Amino acid sequence: MSGRGTPEYLAAHLQEALARDPRVNEPELQVSIVAGRVRITGVVPTEERRAAVDEVAAERCADLEVENRTTVGRYPDAEREERVT
Amino acid sequence: MIRVAAVGDVHVGGDSAGLLREQLATVPERADVLLIAGDLTKAGEVEEAEILAAELQGLELQVVAVLGNHDHHADRPEEIAATLRDVGVVVLEGDAVRVDTPEGSVGVAGVKGFGGGFAGANGTEFGEPEMKAFVRHSRERADALELALRSLRADVRIALTHYAPVRDTLQGEPPELFPFLGSYLLAEAIDRAGCDLAVHGHAHRGAEHGVTAGGVTVRNVAQTVIRQGYAVYTFGEDEPTPASRARATSDGVVAPAR
Repeated sequence: MSGRGTPEYLAAHLQEALARDPRVNEPELQVSIVAGRVRITGVVPTEERRAAVDEVAAERCADLEVENRTTVGRYPDAEREERVT
Repeated sequence: MIRVAAVGDVHVGGDSAGLLREQLATVPERADVLLIAGDLTKAGEVEEAEILAAELQGLELQVVAVLGNHDHHADRPEEIAATLRDVGVVVLEGDAVRVDTPEGSVGVAGVKGFGGGFAGANGTEFGEPEMKAFVRHSRERADALELALRSLRADVRIALTHYAPVRDTLQGEPPELFPFLGSYLLAEAIDRAGCDLAVHGHAHRGAEHGVTAGGVTVRNVAQTVIRQGYAVYTFGEDEPTPASRARATSDGVVAPAR
């Protein structure tokens, strides 16, 4: 396999798309190739943005299996204080 | 005791209206001032800043913020800042503010900062114009932070940035990304001017705790790192929580020192 179809390049292109596509705009997500599959990890703020990751990945990597392992951040109230000085 | 709440990288967008307000509901009871360490919006759109402004409006404590790289994506950072200032948020970029509380004054100097890497593996102003501009921008923002910090007279002095000043708080991120996550120039500025705490965001997979070479405490408050609505840092002697204390009024906020 060579050129644009190479999984490594597809992963890089998908990372770029996840950053630039207005449905997602999450450059911090990590895209990797694991056993020939595209794996996306990281935390997104909403279910809508997680679904958008699926959409963009499906559009960009139609020929590869994609694992969307992103999670939606759910944050509890501040549970602790730290004394600095 | 002075209590400072902090969070970064909240990435507010059209799909997240109401979430941040919920996460910050208790902060006026827990802290005297709230710092937001950049990446306020998903993609730097003014409409996103308007949603954020609605979330912060009426929050019964002073909010102080810097912008992050997300807030620059639509090339409208001034409009983002103006939208937030309209609801009383202090947005810093190379300037400083002092918030007077019943327990003492909190001074905050802020810049977005930039990348460039860390001593031993840092970029230099050499070669192509694009490379020189990259490192120059980092140096200029660090210089602005130092000047702003030096202008501060307050009981507690804090440096607020989006990009990281040290590698400690990047642990967990791929090392290849470090030059895009922060710069030693910020730490050098912080150490030269001195302060009690440096707070940043940007490194979503990083660590919370760090320290500069000069011994200043550094905290990465990216929400994915602190894993709670906000972090609380305290200064001074212990006493009851400030639930019933008056918030810092607008009279307690001095004009930014430019």
